[in-house]
Amino acid sequence: MELERITVALRPRTAREAIDLGAAMLRAHARPVWAAWFVFSLPIAALCIATGWLLQLPWLATLLIWWLLPLFDRVPLYVLSRAVFERAPRWRETLRGQRQWRWGGTIASISWRRIDSHRALRLPMELLEGLAAKQRRERWRVLRRPIGADATGLAFGCLELALVMFMGAFLFVLLFIPPELLPDWLRGSVGGVAHRTPEVTGALIAAVAYLAWSAIEPLHVAAGFALYLNRRTQLEAWDVDLAFRRLRDRWLAAGRVAAAVLLALACAWPHGAWAQKTAAPAEHKDVPVTHIEDTFAAPAGKDDQRFAEAAAQAFRDPRFGGEHKEHAWMPRQWSDKPKELKPGPMPLEGIGNALALGMKWLLLLLLAALVVAIAVYVARRARLPVLAAPSRRQAVLDTHLEAIEAQERLPEDLAGATQRLWSGGRRREALALLYRGCVEQVATALQLPVEPDATEADCLRSARRLDDRQQRQRAEAIVRAWQYAAYADRYPRDEDFERLLDGWPARHGSAA
Amino acid sequence: MLDTLRQIETPEGVFLRLRAAGALPRAQAWTIDFVLRLVVFSAAMIPLSLFGSAGSGVGALLMFVLMWAYAVVCEVWFGGQTLGKRAMGLRVVSADGAPVTLVPSVLRNLLRVVDILPGVYAVGLASTLIDPYGRRLGDVIAGTLVIHGGELPVGSQVPKVAPMAPPPGLAPDEQAVIVEFAERCGQLTPQRQQELADLLQPLTGCSGEAGVQRLLGYANWLLGRT
Repeated sequence: MELERITVALRPRTAREAIDLGAAMLRAHARPVWAAWFVFSLPIAALCIATGWLLQLPWLATLLIWWLLPLFDRVPLYVLSRAVFERAPRWRETLRGQRQWRWGGTIASISWRRIDSHRALRLPMELLEGLAAKQRRERWRVLRRPIGADATGLAFGCLELALVMFMGAFLFVLLFIPPELLPDWLRGSVGGVAHRTPEVTGALIAAVAYLAWSAIEPLHVAAGFALYLNRRTQLEAWDVDLAFRRLRDRWLAAGRVAAAVLLALACAWPHGAWAQKTAAPAEHKDVPVTHIEDTFAAPAGKDDQRFAEAAAQAFRDPRFGGEHKEHAWMPRQWSDKPKELKPGPMPLEGIGNALALGMKWLLLLLLAALVVAIAVYVARRARLPVLAAPSRRQAVLDTHLEAIEAQERLPEDLAGATQRLWSGGRRREALALLYRGCVEQVATALQLPVEPDATEADCLRSARRLDDRQQRQRAEAIVRAWQYAAYADRYPRDEDFERLLDGWPARHGSAA
Repeated sequence: MLDTLRQIETPEGVFLRLRAAGALPRAQAWTIDFVLRLVVFSAAMIPLSLFGSAGSGVGALLMFVLMWAYAVVCEVWFGGQTLGKRAMGLRVVSADGAPVTLVPSVLRNLLRVVDILPGVYAVGLASTLIDPYGRRLGDVIAGTLVIHGGELPVGSQVPKVAPMAPPPGLAPDEQAVIVEFAERCGQLTPQRQQELADLLQPLTGCSGEAGVQRLLGYANWLLGRT
């Protein structure tokens, strides 16, 4: 394995993000993945469908295809694992490559381990690392620990998506049948045809299921592979490795170090060299081709005729067929409506009706309120003078200004007031007060007016013009402390705060 | 490089990286939401069925709210997360990374009508599989995006070693990598730590365990420890 050649951005990811990375990998290499997938799996699927047909077991084909999915999984994994480190192989190479991959794990997963929700994660470990059985168990324990649940979630998610694709295909066809044809067609097809021609229905279901799995199963494999890559990135810090290599190359190229001993990366990609031997492409070439249309029409037509005859005979039976006329007298006021349409008296019906009436009026009121609100909104937008309400924002601004003005006057004993605020836990207010006092003192010392729009930077600038060096430093310390508190929420320690209070400007009576 | 990130450059030249979410986590989040809504609706219908036609009327209103308003309310007022998305660590944001607002949210949820075709979200699924940022058609049109909002996995505290100044001339990202190595070396085997440190032998001038220690020293220095 040469990590430099990886074509996937390595960074710490959560397991779910890794699953999405699998989808991105699949999207980037969609063509080679699906080409190889169909070349490999289509003959096998056709064989499964034919088996179901010949054995007269309509459910068998779908079951067989599902059962063989772990076999098909090898193909997308081969393409993706090559694509991530080198380039995507063509389908011929992929099929040839299957011979070099071990079969033990695949045989296990299409026999006793078929129902394994961690399949997608186990697959890359078994096929790409190729460890002996004992090591593999240890390795599996390390690999699986934090992401087993995600792998299970992935398996069930893919099952869900395949189901969506499967049902979607049928419902999609249904969507294009005109509704007036629908009831007859439904009765004739799903009920009747499924009953009368189980082979055709079974084959059709198996074919659609195969297509649905074809859409989703590569995603399952790709997501499992991405989970595996992510876990190894975590375990072996591949991203750090890559960055270190780049750093080293830059360092050496910059000529800062004359000689360097480079150690080869010990972690070698198992089965690094793939001997490309010539091999025959896929097996399963000669599969009998069955034409659904041929077999579909014949029995259905014959059955229709038989059905028509049977129906005609049934209608000739006097118990079913024939028309009868009956005359009877009915009292007029009783005959207006049949009673049984109405359900029996519900419990709490009185309350229910009252609730319904209340709800009705509530909804009407809401409607009225909505209409009025729209009218007011439109009128406001059109700036009709009648409805111009006083702006609330102005009012808020005024009170805010008042609040500031109320605090405008600084306390006589600045240090004491600040100290009280600080020990009362209101540290931000304390620093704000100290800062304001400092600004005022600086302005007094420089005999300048206090500018209301001065920023902290302005204060620092004016503080630098102070003659006294100690005063200058103290003012700067106070402004800095205030900035840390105001913008970073970081407060000085108690003793540092005490030092700020000591002397000028907090105790401006005393000397610096 | 293959990745699921969507990079956005702000006018200040800052790169925002949105970690786009794809079909599988989104389908799982939707399933959680669906089950939750089904449970709420069923639980509400039991007492409501006692009230006759008024009860079924309220039930219909509840169903409407659960189908159409639930997602919008959650997205606009609860940080872009329905309960299912919260459970899966997903979040709806606008395509530029800003919180999603009312109109795009309503639009993307109304367009479920298209994505749900032909009844089982097959169109939405195909769209999320094809789109590079895993958007369904409603997201594309409303200009929204579903992202992974959860915290990234982080390493442990950098082990305390006597700090040592690294050689001058390291770029900021290179310094960050050294700190990252120190944060994550707790998760690596000692052999792997040494392999990695040996890569930087030209920089540290030592190999093996000494190299690891020196890198840890650099990291401590870079973190400003004394």
